[in-house]
Amino acid sequence: MNDQARENLVEWLKQVMDAESAEAANEDIRAGEQLLATYSAPKPDVRTLTAIKARMVLAAARRHRNIRMLRGALAAAAAVIVIAMIGLLGPDSTSRTPMVHAAIIPAAIWESDNIEAEDLDLAYFTSEIRRIEAQMQALEAGDSESHGSGTLQELEMELMNVEIEFWKG
Amino acid sequence: MGRSVELARIIDGCKSGDADCFAQVVDRYAGRCYGYFYRLTGDRDLSDELLSELFIRLVEKIGSYKGGAFESWLFKIASNIFHDHLRGKQRRRRLLDARRAEIELEPDLNESRRSDMSEDRLDKLQLQLNRLDADTRELIMLRFHSELSFREIAELRSEPLGTALSKLHRGLKKLRALMEG
Repeated sequence: MNDQARENLVEWLKQVMDAESAEAANEDIRAGEQLLATYSAPKPDVRTLTAIKARMVLAAARRHRNIRMLRGALAAAAAVIVIAMIGLLGPDSTSRTPMVHAAIIPAAIWESDNIEAEDLDLAYFTSEIRRIEAQMQALEAGDSESHGSGTLQELEMELMNVEIEFWKG
Repeated sequence: MGRSVELARIIDGCKSGDADCFAQVVDRYAGRCYGYFYRLTGDRDLSDELLSELFIRLVEKIGSYKGGAFESWLFKIASNIFHDHLRGKQRRRRLLDARRAEIELEPDLNESRRSDMSEDRLDKLQLQLNRLDADTRELIMLRFHSELSFREIAELRSEPLGTALSKLHRGLKKLRALMEG
């Protein structure tokens, strides 16, 4: 037992028991420690100690290598984060041209209550369809000037053309 | 003062991975730490293993040592290693087997005389130590081998000083009675 451990044991013991008991406990502890001192524990084998020292050197080398690798990985991660931050928050972000959303349908048509009247193309196609419809009805009723299947086919073709043009815009 | 300065130099060397400093730490503390493990396990091979683990862990943790009593820091690691060992199922089985073997040897020790008297006494102490409960046995061995103060031991074990003193007193008294009986 070294000097550091030789604190005033009685004073410690007096904190948890009366003075007389503290003195007795002190004697018990001293006697017990003397008993232990007479039975020395075995010492480690020299070969064991040599092996431990070798393992410690290897462990230290491994630890230093791991630290270096970790530092490298952290530096790479930090670089990626910095680049990403520059990309997101860099000076260009404020001067970037704002995105403009263009409308496909003109505002006048979008807001109109009568789309057919506002859109000239639509008005034209609507009038064409109505004209052809009237012609077909007249043919079916038999009061057309030009009779025959050829006229009917012509009208149908014309109607199809109108429809195609309409969907082409 | 000179001793603590020398120790500080060795610890600094260990922090920078100096092989000589590692060797010096082993030379200084291996005997006491080995005695601590041996008295707790009663198994030399196992004590070798735990001692090796202790010094490897020292290498891994030396960077976190920020001063204070080095013995206290080292024996805290030793105590943790011993408790980790107890938690391991395989190792616990091995310890139980070793203790069973010791109990079976007990009549032989009482009946036969050995030529080496010190070895005989050594075994007797080991047997009686094994009759104490594990916590008291560890406390006694920590006090004896670490050479720490009671206050440091109480801090290391995270228990009040009075509790540590009381357990140690009862344990040593019982051990003496067993040895004399």
